[in-house]
Amino acid sequence: MDLAKVQELVFEVVAGLVADWDLDAEIGATTRLVANLEFESIDIIQMVVAFEERLQRRNLGFEKLLMVDGRYVDDLSLGQIAAFLHQRLAVAA
Amino acid sequence: MTRTLFIGLDGATFTILDELTSDPYGEGVTMPFLAGLIASGHKAPLRSTNHPLTPPAWVSLMTGRNPGSHGVFDFVRFKDMGHDVYFTLYDARDIQDETIWSLAGRQGRRIVSLNFPMMAPPPDIEGCLVPGFTSWKHLRRNMRPEGLYDRIKAIDGFDPKELAWDFERESKIGEDMADDEVEGWVRHHLPREAQWFRIADTLLEQENPDLFAVMFDGTDKIQHQAWHALDPALRPAEPSESWLRLRALCLGYFRELDGYIRRLVERAGPDAQVFLASDHGFTASPRVVRINRWLGEKGWLTWRTAGDSEAEKRRESANFAYLDWTKTLAFCPTPSSNGIAIRVARGPGEPGVPEADYESFRDTLVAELKEMRDPLTGEKVIRDVLLREQAFPGAAMGDCPDLTLVLSDYGFVSVRNVAPVVSMRATPTGTHHPDGIFIAAGPGIAPGASGRFSILDVPSILMHSLDLPVPRNFEGRVPDGLFAREVRVGPASRRMSAGTAAEPQVADEASEAEKLRILEQLKALGYLED
Repeated sequence: MDLAKVQELVFEVVAGLVADWDLDAEIGATTRLVANLEFESIDIIQMVVAFEERLQRRNLGFEKLLMVDGRYVDDLSLGQIAAFLHQRLAVAA
Repeated sequence: MTRTLFIGLDGATFTILDELTSDPYGEGVTMPFLAGLIASGHKAPLRSTNHPLTPPAWVSLMTGRNPGSHGVFDFVRFKDMGHDVYFTLYDARDIQDETIWSLAGRQGRRIVSLNFPMMAPPPDIEGCLVPGFTSWKHLRRNMRPEGLYDRIKAIDGFDPKELAWDFERESKIGEDMADDEVEGWVRHHLPREAQWFRIADTLLEQENPDLFAVMFDGTDKIQHQAWHALDPALRPAEPSESWLRLRALCLGYFRELDGYIRRLVERAGPDAQVFLASDHGFTASPRVVRINRWLGEKGWLTWRTAGDSEAEKRRESANFAYLDWTKTLAFCPTPSSNGIAIRVARGPGEPGVPEADYESFRDTLVAELKEMRDPLTGEKVIRDVLLREQAFPGAAMGDCPDLTLVLSDYGFVSVRNVAPVVSMRATPTGTHHPDGIFIAAGPGIAPGASGRFSILDVPSILMHSLDLPVPRNFEGRVPDGLFAREVRVGPASRRMSAGTAAEPQVADEASEAEKLRILEQLKALGYLED
């Protein structure tokens, strides 16, 4: 799957997640989970599940995206998530 | 026509229900309908799973298998990556045995299942499923069938924020609270239970399924924080105003619950068999045992220093271990686990105990744990230390902590870096006792009382009530004398792949040494052929 398609998938999954949240935020590559979409820890876990369900794969290695040098990252953009997923899917292919 | 009505009461115990179905203090009978149900039906104490905790216990009740087989041990699971440990939540895809919802569904029975844990993401079932323990933000996409959320949304008074699990609030379970804080806690759970009841009442009427199952969990939440206002053994000789107010509020909750049970039983009709069960019981925990602090003082664990970012601060205050993984040999991952995971080094220079030293390290740990004492009283604070291959035998036991602690007061450990290791609480909190409740009533149920049943018996009982054979690999049984009708035994339930394990996966870096060691343990116990 090329990066554009992965990005499209990320936007679609995240838009579905936040559909009932009464947010007034754009969904795009620069959209940030915490700053723009008011994500909490549990929402990140749900997002990971949603990607795994959509891609029909577990163990995509999201811990590598969520933890850097043993510390949890503060925030992530949808562009970062798409790039990570694109790279992981290429490894698995 | 609904043949089988199952009402789960999380954490319900006869210690409380015996009082609430009688009138020992001149307060009136709080739960008159339940009293009548018990009088006309069958009751028994119900022994929970070896670690009496909501996720493993309810999943055992849903699968008829012990946690070592079904694979769910806690709310939180962790992945040890050597220099880091990644924590996330267990979910429905981690259940490795077939649930009774699935078993009954594929034999032509229609199901409604409401508020059971570990049911998200929702498996496909023949009927309706609303998972428990799910944030309001994620309810819509975690219900089955599609469109159910909009049907539920149309119910008068529906409020997803009142209905759903609030992770931040519920994480305060076990913390010391003043009576006015506990009052707020109880008040929060009253509308939540009413929301679940309205959904249950509506779907029972609309769907009329063969098996209708709903779980109310306010019992557990209220008992955790307000146990001192409910436990007859803790009743003060001269109750304060705030105690009396809190008690009245708690009794109000149980009175409402009695009304919900009555209305569901009436809605199911006189031909339905009715079953009530809890995942565990309750008792008082007067003591705090800070197990990671103890491991640190022994030199087996090293704490991590948190950074300044908000994420770091949130992580440090979270209820799961925050450690220097490069210098930690053993740790308790979460308070709810009551477990200790021993880290086995993946190779020379890697963090953990060398593979060859595992057994002796574990023996030392067990011996020292068993000697841990309350410095004030000299009493031992640990009742038992369970080895995973003994307590949770099965193909999934490798995901379980190596040791599971049973504290002398059945309390949950603390994972915080606070001294001293052992201290007393200002007020005893409620904690899980291994003995919960079982009640059955309706046509074909023999009235009376029995000795202890097992939580693993409940799915066998429900299958039998649905006039279905009991899978031969269920670990429980239909207790003698409960039904008039003879029990049929049928084909085994299905083994599920772990989540989407059948699908291609990105390489997992789990330790090969760890896998081999678990296989050796299973072989030694006779669970695997040589």
